[in-house]
Amino acid sequence: MASQKKERRLAFLATALPPIAWVVAFFLAPLAIVWAYSFGQNVSLTEVDISGTFANYARALQPLYLGIFAKSIFVAGITTLLCLIIGFPVALSIVFASERWRAWILLLIMLPFWTNLLIRTYALIAVLRTQGYVNFTLEWFWDQGSWLMTLVGLEPLGDFTPLQLLYNNFAVVFGLVYVHLPFMVLPLYAALDRLDKSLIEASLDLGAGHIRTLFLIVVPLALPGIISGIIITFVPALGAYLTPDLLGGPDSQMIANVIERQFKKANDWPFGAALSFLLMYATFAAIALRVYFTRGKSTDAGHGI
Amino acid sequence: MATRRAPLEYNRAWQMKLWLFVVFFFLYAPLVALVVFSFNDSKRNIVWRGFTLDYYKKFFNNEDLLIAFANSLTIALFATLISLVIGALAGILLWRYRFFGKTAVEGAFTLPIVVPEICMGVSMLLFFTRVLPWPNDLIWPFSLGSIIIAHVSFCFPFVALVVRARLASFNQEQEEAARDLGANDWQAFRDVLLPHLKPALIAGALLAFTLSLDDFVITFFTSGPDTVTFPVKVYSMLRFSVTPEVNAASTMLIVVTIVLMALMMLIQGRGRK
Amino acid sequence: MSDERTKALFGPHSRRSILKGLGAAAVGITLTGRKHSAWAADEEKKLNFYNWDTYIGETTLEDFAEASGIDVNMSLFATNDELFAKLRAGNPGYDVIVPGSEFVQRMIEAKLLEPLDHSKIPNIKNIAPEFMEDAPFDPGRKYSLPYTWLVIGIGYRKSKVDGVPDSWKYLFDSDKYAGKITVMSDASELFRNCFKYLGGSLNDASPELLKKAEAMLIKQKPHIKAFHEDNGQDLLLSGEVDLAMEYNGDIAQIMTEDDDIDFVVPKEGAMKQQDTLAIPKGAPHPENAHKFINFIFEPEVGAEISSTILYPSPNAAAVKLMPADYRDNKVIFPPADVMAKCEWPNYLGPEFSRMLDEAMTRLRAA
Repeated sequence: MASQKKERRLAFLATALPPIAWVVAFFLAPLAIVWAYSFGQNVSLTEVDISGTFANYARALQPLYLGIFAKSIFVAGITTLLCLIIGFPVALSIVFASERWRAWILLLIMLPFWTNLLIRTYALIAVLRTQGYVNFTLEWFWDQGSWLMTLVGLEPLGDFTPLQLLYNNFAVVFGLVYVHLPFMVLPLYAALDRLDKSLIEASLDLGAGHIRTLFLIVVPLALPGIISGIIITFVPALGAYLTPDLLGGPDSQMIANVIERQFKKANDWPFGAALSFLLMYATFAAIALRVYFTRGKSTDAGHGI
Repeated sequence: MATRRAPLEYNRAWQMKLWLFVVFFFLYAPLVALVVFSFNDSKRNIVWRGFTLDYYKKFFNNEDLLIAFANSLTIALFATLISLVIGALAGILLWRYRFFGKTAVEGAFTLPIVVPEICMGVSMLLFFTRVLPWPNDLIWPFSLGSIIIAHVSFCFPFVALVVRARLASFNQEQEEAARDLGANDWQAFRDVLLPHLKPALIAGALLAFTLSLDDFVITFFTSGPDTVTFPVKVYSMLRFSVTPEVNAASTMLIVVTIVLMALMMLIQGRGRK
Repeated sequence: MSDERTKALFGPHSRRSILKGLGAAAVGITLTGRKHSAWAADEEKKLNFYNWDTYIGETTLEDFAEASGIDVNMSLFATNDELFAKLRAGNPGYDVIVPGSEFVQRMIEAKLLEPLDHSKIPNIKNIAPEFMEDAPFDPGRKYSLPYTWLVIGIGYRKSKVDGVPDSWKYLFDSDKYAGKITVMSDASELFRNCFKYLGGSLNDASPELLKKAEAMLIKQKPHIKAFHEDNGQDLLLSGEVDLAMEYNGDIAQIMTEDDDIDFVVPKEGAMKQQDTLAIPKGAPHPENAHKFINFIFEPEVGAEISSTILYPSPNAAAVKLMPADYRDNKVIFPPADVMAKCEWPNYLGPEFSRMLDEAMTRLRAA
């Protein structure tokens, strides 16, 4: 019995030590440096003095920056919602596909996302801009419609005004959804995959429609996966800066753009550190909330050591 | 009268097919355009001006791009392997054990997802210059070490998340049964838990590889003159102006990826038999 | 070391690189040629050049390698801020960098640059004298030498615009071209050119002037299509906008592809800048760096670079070698009367930089 306990303990250490050691050394330590910086101030162009000042945080909590914060949360929220709505049926379809098709659909979903983010964003620009493919297509339809009208003897339609699909918030959300869709699909698939299909069949047999089955059976059972997907999508969307930067309009500034500017152009690392740590505190609080709420319904095995 | 489809054959419903079609169109149209325009005979690549292979020639002669390419693939490979191990261990740790400070550890593992990339990039920059200076003249691939380490730090939590979600469905009793039959911890792990985890591990590996290959911000802050990666190189080129050469480069990247994925599928398929 | 190995992996290039690859692989050290002058022999035959993308001639680096036996490894950055951020925490191994003039001043203050030994750069004589004398950001050119210069102005599409839009008004203060305007997103460049429009100097670190500029731009914002990050010329070319606040060199480059594009420096004056060559502190190969800089100022080399990148060159000897359509190009070399109104930007200090950035944040959030 004792040797089994010892074995257990060894197993625990073997499981626990590598990840914890890594996280401490190569993640927490570097972050601690930046955290220290958030209490510092620039004493010269390259030196930062960790003076324990709260000035950076005070500045970051002004309405100007809080407003940008709120906007970023809003945009990320819409993006996540859209990804969930679009991605859920896709994940379902992967799960219920035959073995042969499953790998293919999974591959086809992942493939675009191996392309570099910058390239994809630029590709989107070519699609959405004034002389882009969407507008070219619409213009073609417009012209056909115009021609049809003349055929019937009516006045032709006026000049085609291209849609402004780029350099505005629409483009930002579009781009964010485009980029983050697979981050939603994968965890959904992983969770739905191990779902007991017979439960669904049972529900259908008992007379519940597909939609009801979906919401009453599938969603609750797949909830951990859904929440994983939401977190994996929401958080990077919140911190995205390349997409709003390249696709956004004059008022599409998100908090990550402001932070990026502090570390680059404004050369104000302490302030940038304060802003990003505020962002982190807030999201971490949200995650802690989630952990707290799912605590009772934990699906963990929960062994003592 | 169409045959009544079985209740779970969602894929035969026309709505599902339409949905999938629209989604795939949305995903692929920009990329197809990208590939097509890699053959465009125009330096600025905004309007189509004619077919040419010039930019592919430029790409294959562009040493810097090729080196950056190789660096990116290497980093992604190592980062994925290490992330798989660490991430799986982290996922199992959180699922299986209750221990003092568990919430803190769980939080620590989730932090890399939460932290804005910029923040993490800067922290890595400071770390690798002030705390653990990474020597500049190490042999490749060790020179990529600082980047690989940074990548693992942000990749493994995703693996852990996926593994943990999968473990939620693991039936403890299978493991108990194995133990009753005389297996020790290691055997129980290897023969019972691991196979169950396989889909999660594959999904996690794909995710980690994607994240690493695609990363720009964190890599930018940890790369030096000899360790340029593909995204960093492309970003510099894009800022100045996009030429079809960049499109050609990304087309090649897509091709490489398809080849790798095909290999992975083959291996997986063979393993199943 | 890494370059040798990867070159060996990627197939034959020059015979020298294969030999190097084999030798290095076998012996594990870098081969060094022993062909050239004694003072270069103590340094490895390598140079790390940190530059903007495509900001060099097509064959310049190969030509240098041929002439001196030194292999140049060029890496890229996209903005001066990146450069500064990278170097700020310690030089990761660069020998020659290409900072903008304003950043030279910052870097001198931050003690990030090595002083240049002019005696090792005899080709300095080829540089037009006004660049050596008129350099308030680096008096005496102790730390930097001019590589290219540029001026900010308005690129525009002739067929869509009335006459010549020769005033900042059309970008900052008028709805005539609403929705077809793009301006720069860099706070310093945007706001300080506004100062010129408002009648002040762009080196005037005045909070009142900044407030005025900010208010004006906030009013103008609904008419602005986008804040571009150095790709204004692409927006102009693709028809996304009809007026773009851009550098003259960028516009000169797209003018070769589209006859309908032209460029003008506004009559109120604008910001002119220099991109310079400098050696960061802690450069591993300072001797090679001096050789490289000297090479760049050879007339033929300068001419080759200019013919590729089409930016105005401060290298008078090189300009003499250029064809007439470069020398007489009013876009590349704007007329003297309007250039007289243009100013070099000084670094206005950390406090004003912070105000500039906050003004930009407020502008973007408005």
